[in-house]
Amino acid sequence: MSSSLSTTIVRLYWLATLLLFAAVAWMLVFWTPREASMGDVQKIFYIHLPAAIHTFVACFVVFVGSVMYLLQRRLWWDDVASAAAKVSVLLASLVLLTGMVWGRSAWGHWWTWSPRLTFSLILWLLYVVYLVIRPSIESSQKRALISAVYGVIAFLDVPLVYLSTKLLPDIHPKEIVLTARMGTTLLAWFAPMTMLAAGLIVVSFRINRLRRTSLEEVETEFEEPRLVPAGGNA
Amino acid sequence: MTRAVRHIAMLTLKDLRIEARGRQTVGLVAVLAVLIVVVLGIGLSPGRGADGLSATAILWVAYLFGGVLVFERTMEVERHDDALAGLLLAPVDRGAIFAAKLLANLLLMFAIAVIVTPVAVLFFHFDLSAAPGGFAAVMLVSMVGYAAIGTLFAALTSSTRLAGGLLAMLVFPVALPLVLASTRLLHGVFEQGEALGGAGLAVLIAFDLIFLVVSWLVFEMVLEA
Amino acid sequence: MNGRLAIPTSDTPQPANRGARGDRAPASGLRLTPMIDAAVASPAVRSVNLCKVIDDRPILRDLTFELPAACYVGLLGANGAGKTTLLRLLSTLTTPTRGDLEIFGRSVRGHGPAIRAGIGLIGHQPMLYRDLSALENLVFFGRLHDLSEPTVRAMDLLEFVGLADRAHDAVKTFSRGMVQRVSIARSLLHEPRLLLADEPFAGLDAPSARTVERLLEELNGRGMAVILANHDVRQSLRLAQRVLVLRRGRLALDAPAASLSADEALEEIEKR
Repeated sequence: MSSSLSTTIVRLYWLATLLLFAAVAWMLVFWTPREASMGDVQKIFYIHLPAAIHTFVACFVVFVGSVMYLLQRRLWWDDVASAAAKVSVLLASLVLLTGMVWGRSAWGHWWTWSPRLTFSLILWLLYVVYLVIRPSIESSQKRALISAVYGVIAFLDVPLVYLSTKLLPDIHPKEIVLTARMGTTLLAWFAPMTMLAAGLIVVSFRINRLRRTSLEEVETEFEEPRLVPAGGNA
Repeated sequence: MTRAVRHIAMLTLKDLRIEARGRQTVGLVAVLAVLIVVVLGIGLSPGRGADGLSATAILWVAYLFGGVLVFERTMEVERHDDALAGLLLAPVDRGAIFAAKLLANLLLMFAIAVIVTPVAVLFFHFDLSAAPGGFAAVMLVSMVGYAAIGTLFAALTSSTRLAGGLLAMLVFPVALPLVLASTRLLHGVFEQGEALGGAGLAVLIAFDLIFLVVSWLVFEMVLEA
Repeated sequence: MNGRLAIPTSDTPQPANRGARGDRAPASGLRLTPMIDAAVASPAVRSVNLCKVIDDRPILRDLTFELPAACYVGLLGANGAGKTTLLRLLSTLTTPTRGDLEIFGRSVRGHGPAIRAGIGLIGHQPMLYRDLSALENLVFFGRLHDLSEPTVRAMDLLEFVGLADRAHDAVKTFSRGMVQRVSIARSLLHEPRLLLADEPFAGLDAPSARTVERLLEELNGRGMAVILANHDVRQSLRLAQRVLVLRRGRLALDAPAASLSADEALEEIEKR
């Protein structure tokens, strides 16, 4: 594929995403009925739910990249996993913030240790840690290895986090019954959110690859691994 | 199988012997853990909202930090002078190396818990008499899972320059389900008078099983790199 | 020091020739390596198009060579040339990406434990527990190697390396040279047929280095194959019968040590 053609495709992709966002935003504001008990704040739900689901998808991509790195030991997979981790933190932040706004409106507090908010917080923390530890590990192989093991463990931890937060006393959320129009809006919001998440993962992955290849050009001498993997404090 | 068991016993005894020979991890970490309990005790002095059950949360802080130190120090024994290479070159199953290290870590953590738990119970007027066995069981089951991920990550990070901070960063968020489930479980047992069991215990046991198996598998992969 | 030194230290005269070494008294009866007939034994190492790729980087490319049993081979190369990776492959701590590698006729793929049973490794790190005594270390590793009488074997080997009188002292109280001798004793516990030495002289003073040099010669004289990775070109040319030069992952030179001057070898190592 020629580079100009791929640039055109990329531009079209982001243009389409933007237009879709405009369309669903219009739907949200003008077309979707106001929910009776929560009022306009309920509309945050149409963003909250797709963001939450795509957080899991991004975490799953981190998991797959991590497992594949452990099996194949190719930095390509580390680039996949770390790209997805960035997007999962971004989306988890969105989930956490929209969740807090919801909580403020429903229960009067920005923060409560309700199962859902606690779950979003721990999920967010798990993947923020993935991102913040990476720069502090100098060797790229070791960084990839530690990240990959953590990426596997963190993903397997998610269901355990979910089950353990269920043990917290719940503040009963007000019953929300979605009308047909509300359901349609919710479905419609998935389209641009999916495109955004997938697009960001790809962009972030490409940046990772570019950075990796430019680094390799600079490094003329590579470091040989030690006799024992991850070894020694000589 | 008996060969693996023999190897695990030998490797664990080696770690305990080195500990007894003057590394004094237990003493050092136990004092650190007591310090943590004291700091939190002064901060949350009873009468200002901290009830007896706060002791469980405070103990968790002590166990988490104490655990990280234990994991680090027992792995440092292998890293120093590349002793690990000697192990890897011997006809020993890598799973046995993991199991033995996990066992040594657990024994050291138990020793520390035996010292620090009474201190916290005393400071926070925590009445254990309702279910002392339940309390011990919950903490023991939690520590197995915590030690499993701790042993795995300690093997990974012990060679990096930031070993200490890094290990704590890696294991704390992953261990949060243990903290949540065990404190809720103890809340149920001590405040509500419920029997030990149910979803909380299931989460703890699931955590143990999942991370014992995964750590064991990944430990091998990490070493065979 | 102990009067019954089993190995020649720097202040004792070296044996006149290789043939005289086998009948030296103190270590007689101590088995160091299985008796093999080098003429009919399978080669110590056979490598065919051996490649190792780590994280998309080719570390070793198409290495083809064969080393006979009981050889003494010097492995030379600049930093990052692939020496350590080759030793890791030979010790089965890692597996080849492509190509074949056989140690004493066994492919490294799927025979890790069996091959490890025939390999001893010494490095610039001693691979010992510093808080344990020399004897405890050797007995511990001996048990892992399933020796029937680890204590007897450990004492014999400590005698061989001239440290029997310090058997019960913690390794951390030893000098660098003494630690390296314990490390050599550790590598000999299971009577290996191939000894891999990764920079064994690093950090040693001249007398200790001489002692280690003579230990390696002694072992080779008894039929053990020795592969020595080393920075000191002159030393390797003096000790080894044959040298392999690695340059950026390729085998740049494979020649008898006697045929090569130090300058020629250095040129091969440093060529771009």
